[in-house]
Amino acid sequence: MTSELSNIAARVREFISSCIPEAANNFSLPAADGSIIKAGHAEKAHAGEEASFQSLALELFALQFTHNAAYRRICEARSIAPAAVMHWSQIPAVPTAAFKELELSCLPATERTAVFHSSGTTAQRPSRHFHSAESLAVYEASLWPWFVRHAMADFKSQNVDFNLAILTPPPRQAPHSSLAYMFAVVRRRLNTPATVFLGATANDGTWSVDGESVARTLRRASEAARPLVLLGTAFAFVHLLDYLAQSEMRFRLPVCSRVLETGGYKGRSRALPKRELHALMTQRLGVPASHIVCEYGMSELSSQAYDGSCGDDSRIAHPASRVFHFPPWVRIQIISPETGREVGEGETGLLRVFDLANVFSVMAIQTEDLGVRHGDGFELIGRAELAEPRGCSLLTA
Amino acid sequence: MLIINHPSQIKNPVTLPNYFLADLPSTATLSPALLEEACLTLKRNRAQYLVTRSTEQLVRVLVGVAEGWRQADNPFRKLALAEGPGQMGFPRATLEKGLDQLFQQFTPENFDALLRQELGDARALDQFCPSPPSGGVPRHARAVGPEFLVQFTAGNIPNPAVMSVTLGLLTRSAQFVKCASGAAFLPRLFAHSIYEADRKLGACLEVAEWPGGSTELERVLFAHADCVTATGNDETLAAIRTRVPLKTRFVGYGHRVSFSFLAGEALAGFGANEVAGRVADDVIAWNQLGCLSPHVIYVQTGAARSAEWLAERLADELARRETAAPRGELPATLAATIASRRAIYEVRAAHSPETRMWHSRDSTAWTVVYEADPRFQTSCLHRFVYLKPVKDLGEALRSADAVQGQVSTVGLAAPDHQVKELAGQLARWGVTRVCPVGRMQHPPLAWRHDGRPALGDLITWTDLEMR
Repeated sequence: MTSELSNIAARVREFISSCIPEAANNFSLPAADGSIIKAGHAEKAHAGEEASFQSLALELFALQFTHNAAYRRICEARSIAPAAVMHWSQIPAVPTAAFKELELSCLPATERTAVFHSSGTTAQRPSRHFHSAESLAVYEASLWPWFVRHAMADFKSQNVDFNLAILTPPPRQAPHSSLAYMFAVVRRRLNTPATVFLGATANDGTWSVDGESVARTLRRASEAARPLVLLGTAFAFVHLLDYLAQSEMRFRLPVCSRVLETGGYKGRSRALPKRELHALMTQRLGVPASHIVCEYGMSELSSQAYDGSCGDDSRIAHPASRVFHFPPWVRIQIISPETGREVGEGETGLLRVFDLANVFSVMAIQTEDLGVRHGDGFELIGRAELAEPRGCSLLTA
Repeated sequence: MLIINHPSQIKNPVTLPNYFLADLPSTATLSPALLEEACLTLKRNRAQYLVTRSTEQLVRVLVGVAEGWRQADNPFRKLALAEGPGQMGFPRATLEKGLDQLFQQFTPENFDALLRQELGDARALDQFCPSPPSGGVPRHARAVGPEFLVQFTAGNIPNPAVMSVTLGLLTRSAQFVKCASGAAFLPRLFAHSIYEADRKLGACLEVAEWPGGSTELERVLFAHADCVTATGNDETLAAIRTRVPLKTRFVGYGHRVSFSFLAGEALAGFGANEVAGRVADDVIAWNQLGCLSPHVIYVQTGAARSAEWLAERLADELARRETAAPRGELPATLAATIASRRAIYEVRAAHSPETRMWHSRDSTAWTVVYEADPRFQTSCLHRFVYLKPVKDLGEALRSADAVQGQVSTVGLAAPDHQVKELAGQLARWGVTRVCPVGRMQHPPLAWRHDGRPALGDLITWTDLEMR
């Protein structure tokens, strides 16, 4: 690995910890008055942060242009070279679908120690995001503080005792899942002894949860005094809630228990509108809307967005207005599919993400997700209906 | 028909009177009891007003209605063009052209051809007509339509629904037309225009709209129906078919795709530009949303003009058409689909000369993708078309094996001496309609829908053997 990329990886990590210094080593946030820090706003006050982002972004783009041949070709086809880019928003974004067809990586093949695949139907070729120990370290540095801020922010003291239950398979059963990896990081850093991965990977690669064993965990948790932190995909929750409904089971998890759900359905369960899913969670698990947090992430990124902080009561009053925010080391744009330009406030377009933590792949990612622009955040409203086109032999080219 | 003999308010309508169920405000709830009543009324009206009509009279009414639709000051046409863009998502120019091309087919000659083609004799629905003798027995036969015909129509473009109603009238059936959600606008206007022309015929017709799969409502229809027709995707058809009683005839029109084949010889000389123009006609007709619109244009290689040359010409044509007949706006999800798909081809084009793309600037209005890979590719439509080079028609068909059995129309550009040979190949492969490029979306009235006799499938024959 070139020292230039290692160097910028270290500086990105420094930048991340300069943005949220408190969370670097533990999850207790010293919000002395107990108030919730509004995601994405307080950070903006940080002097020089925009300038740091800008200079890191331009530098990173130049390095990725040099070290990522597949990306360079895309830039060249658009006649954009680093010298011509004056602002991070001009950095060419790569569609997520390109990760299915190209090796969009700065890492030489010999240095790749892990690869994260996009989820989806098995008929489709997955996206492939290559990682090394170094890039995983950046991934961890990015995911942890933002997770803490949103999922654990209301735990005022490091000494709160809680249990953790995770509805995905463990990483050894899902080695190509960035989500399983992330949850394993969370589990390790939360240092909770009684943590279980309750999901399993079937022979055909699909994920499942054993309703009975989750129900056992839920029963134990509701009898304990400690709150339960429950992490999982939306489709796993649908399967679980269906199981609980069939078995006529309802739980009342201890106060301060919480649910973090992520991801779409992609045909792996019946699709439920968020509002309905959350209502069922409240009904069957006894977790109020204020303690249900949605995460937005994908294998092509190294940072995640959250739609609010756990314990924020204002979300009970406005359950529908869930606005996602990425951390300060990420910028987003909502792009009009018609014109390719940024839409105005309140307008709908495709989400484009500039993620500094994507040091060793491509920082600028064009997603297929539709969002409504709300300040520096976005409301997720769906995905472009995209049957992946056939053909293309770029993989072997 | 809610009320018989409703006073006509149609002379210069701002809104249509409440006559059909589809006219009710969206807040109105349809109940099984209401539908039961509607079915009984339709049957009663049919017995009284429709069974005694002659084919000639019915054709006269239909031709008159269609002539009306082609007049600029026709109130139904005016309403369709004024509100259609909002209701149906097509710009005015597209609607205007589509409606003209549909209704100009409604001539006495075309009806006569349709009746003779499907029934052997244009009067077979009126009386016993001679059939060829069989086994030495002189025979006559008479066609009888269903008493009660239920038609499930899909969204997209209005032509199939208008044709369904038209065929239903010819068979003297009481008709209940169930439109897909949000797709009742034009069928409703057409029904009103029939009612306006002939109240009694209008009284034998009902148009309603509800989300598919409303089993309580649909059960009432199925209990009355002698025949059910349905247009839609395969899942929709399968779901309906299982609920139609065994004794009731079911005619399903499933999802179809279409493509074009341009023979090398057709691209020689000045003709090539004209071919590009006709391909553009096919792409912009109903914004490519019909089953008869091309997803892929196969271009035979080895001729004077390459597929890439043609792709460029087609792009020029589509750009020009966009000025004259703009595609119109799309909802964000559809625009996002086009933008996301373009993004993939942009990446491919950056990495390989085997993919090239031309598209409108600052909009998703039109897209031409050239791919050397000949495999059939389903388009995301709305003027998004693929051009693929092939050695010959055989290679095109092998490349389209994934859609074999689902292809409706192949638009053909070929010199006269090749047409029959190519059409024969297409017929053996399972294509049900071959037409010149430029006419794909404009089938004649007598078109055999998906290779079936559209009128013939509705009727039942009574054979009379003479001594």
